[in-house]
Amino acid sequence: MNAALELTGVTKTFGGLTSLNDLNIEVPKGEILSIIGPNGAGKTTLFNIITGVYIPDQGDVKVAGKSIVGLRPDQVAGNGVARTFQNIRLFLNLTVEENLMAAMYGRTRSSLFDSVLQTPRARREDKEKRELALEVLSFFGTRLTGYRLQQPAYSLSYANRRRLEIARAMATGAHTLLLDEPAAGMNPAETQEIAQVISRLGSERDYTIVVIEHDMHVVEGISDRVIALDHGVEIAQGSFDHVATDPNVIEAYLGRGSAATK
Amino acid sequence: MSNQNEQEATTRGIGTDEWVAQHEARIAKPTTAMGKLADRWATLPAVVQWGIPLIVVLMIPFTTSSDYVLRIGVNLGLFIMLVIGLNLTVGYAGLLDLGFVAFYGFGAYFYAFVSSPQFGISWPSWISLPFVVVTTAIIGLALGTPSRRLAGDYLAIATLFFGQMFLVLAVSSDAVQFPWMDEPLDITGGPNGIPSVDQISFLGFTFNSTLSYYFLLLGIVVIGIIATRRIHNSRQGLAWRSMGEDELAAQHMTVPVVRMKLMAFTVGASIAGLAGAFFASVQMGVYPSTFKLPLLIMLYAALILGGLGSVPGLIIGAIVMVVLPEILRFPDYSNYLFLVTVLIGSIILIKSWKLVVAVFAATIAVGFVANAIFLVVGVPYLPIDEWIEGPLAPILGTWIFMPEERLLFGNIAFVLLIVVIAWMTTRSKRVRLFAMPFVLWLAIFTWEVRLLMEPSITRQLLIGALLVVLMAARPQGLFGKPRVEVL
Ligand SMILES: Nc1ncnc2c1ncn2[C@@H]1O[C@H](COP(=O)(O)OP(=O)(O)OP(=O)(O)O)[C@@H](O)[C@H]1O
Ligand SMILES: [Mg+2]
Repeated sequence: MNAALELTGVTKTFGGLTSLNDLNIEVPKGEILSIIGPNGAGKTTLFNIITGVYIPDQGDVKVAGKSIVGLRPDQVAGNGVARTFQNIRLFLNLTVEENLMAAMYGRTRSSLFDSVLQTPRARREDKEKRELALEVLSFFGTRLTGYRLQQPAYSLSYANRRRLEIARAMATGAHTLLLDEPAAGMNPAETQEIAQVISRLGSERDYTIVVIEHDMHVVEGISDRVIALDHGVEIAQGSFDHVATDPNVIEAYLGRGSAATK
Repeated sequence: MSNQNEQEATTRGIGTDEWVAQHEARIAKPTTAMGKLADRWATLPAVVQWGIPLIVVLMIPFTTSSDYVLRIGVNLGLFIMLVIGLNLTVGYAGLLDLGFVAFYGFGAYFYAFVSSPQFGISWPSWISLPFVVVTTAIIGLALGTPSRRLAGDYLAIATLFFGQMFLVLAVSSDAVQFPWMDEPLDITGGPNGIPSVDQISFLGFTFNSTLSYYFLLLGIVVIGIIATRRIHNSRQGLAWRSMGEDELAAQHMTVPVVRMKLMAFTVGASIAGLAGAFFASVQMGVYPSTFKLPLLIMLYAALILGGLGSVPGLIIGAIVMVVLPEILRFPDYSNYLFLVTVLIGSIILIKSWKLVVAVFAATIAVGFVANAIFLVVGVPYLPIDEWIEGPLAPILGTWIFMPEERLLFGNIAFVLLIVVIAWMTTRSKRVRLFAMPFVLWLAIFTWEVRLLMEPSITRQLLIGALLVVLMAARPQGLFGKPRVEVL
């Protein structure tokens, strides 16, 4: 069986600066993999390579056995890999529901004529999209339901914006979610809640999840496996306990005095 | 601490939200009369909300026999068509297209090419109209393809040039020398355009009266509004709107942004093209001066005034931009409008009713004091009936001192007004409030003494002032929702 996501020998340099160096990562279906590493380690760059923002200088990225190097971000998402952004990029003037429905573009087929003439296909898809939006949001309890469904995204609190970004990625129909610091800026209770949501996404919905996270409590709680990056190189991988006690990892964090939260 | 959290979590359940649960109970009912009325209106079904204005518009031709009024209606219809097209490109997809009016022009010329003696072609409307839609769509695609990677300002500049290029082409293509021809060919008729264009006709019915075009455009506009409302939340509409919000994020959420951009250009262009064909047919001619920059500015003003992306907003924005300049053709009306603008403007600025009354009382006093000073100094003046008539005469006539040398006094007042307003902007709120009666009087004095003498200039000035007041009152546009950020 093919891995959900497979990177082989991925290298990326920006004007002489190597951000990722010969990276080999295999993510089996259903795994929750955490990526840790100090600031500038290349974690977000890794996501940008996978989603097609950048093309790797060398190496290959496969999704379910199919190479996706050279595809545009919308095509990568169409292949089942959706992401959230480190600095939240919602469609702020769209409502919660519209944010999710916009992300369902790739899984629907109505043409402009269908939409204007309100053909049976357009009406059916519209109904399905609204049901799907509710179903996705039910994952976050009642936080984004009820009247919030029709609220513009700019009116949401910070934590709700992070939740909505995850929901929006789910709405694309992806099987693999790339979450870039989903708990950043949340208070302890919210952090605990988001960690539970991520665990349940894996256990109840069989999502394959790659999550970048600085909060070691979260990483400890949700990860099947942890990979530590530094200067674009994998310096350790394995269970949380194994990686957290790895001397290379400790040096990478403490040696540069970076923000490890444990 | 964490123990307490867990306890709370188990009693409330993870992800339960009190705000959502108690939302119904927290809705505040409106208390003002206007608020209640707006609330009532909002609960009416969309069919009624749109049906009432539609009936009014349908009745207009039966209440007036004036061709002039119907003509404004026709112009408004064309304008709304253009705004609907522009809304797709700019309001939804967020593509700052400043060459939009060129598509209107292309549509008009293409229609004229195949329906006039210019080339001796006279296609029936059921061929010529689709022809125009397809050709302008192709031109939209042709403009969109090289511009698809341009964002924001760069796209604006490129499309602006495209718009100007169209004008140059239209004006100068009256003697094009092809190598295989003996004589230069007149394609566009140059600055004089193409006169005598055929009128639209279907199944033996020719649209040859203003009334017939009124109903034709009404029909098209109704279709346009319904289509826009449907597109708003459709697959394409959401793709465009999400792209307009954040192109990169939209692309990550499965939206093929390049294809959607081209589609927005193409659809917007073909709607403008069709409007152009109607325009050529209504006018029975095409003239390049129609497609100059002022029209583009008016379109954008209407779009922004209404609140980008809101359908009723588009309509109201278009009505303001088309009907207002017509009203202002009459000095009497423009006088009223000016006074009302000043009134509403200062109410908005002052915000407190008590202060408003005080300021207006003071303004009236300033006027009489000024009169007294003018009289004492012995400035020669015009008798009332020589400068104003109508219902405003008894009030304004006694309150405003009209010097014989209108030009001189008007110019001085105008300069003084600008200086005082500039000075005021640097002062504290208190000082501004105290200076206000004088400024208001000076503004009205300048208007009556000097500006009313030149209706064409005052028209532009007044439209500008009105727009500023409207925008200051509702920065989000008339129908846009105010955006309250949670920080
Ligand atoms: N487009 C780019 N151009 C130039 N340099 C880049 C670009 N994108 C990333 N980099 C560089 O690559 C390195 C890794 O950046 P990246 O954003 O992946 O770090 P990160 O691990 O996500 O850090 P953080 O924890 O702060 O989010 C940094 O040195 C960064 O400056
Ligand atoms: Mg990062």
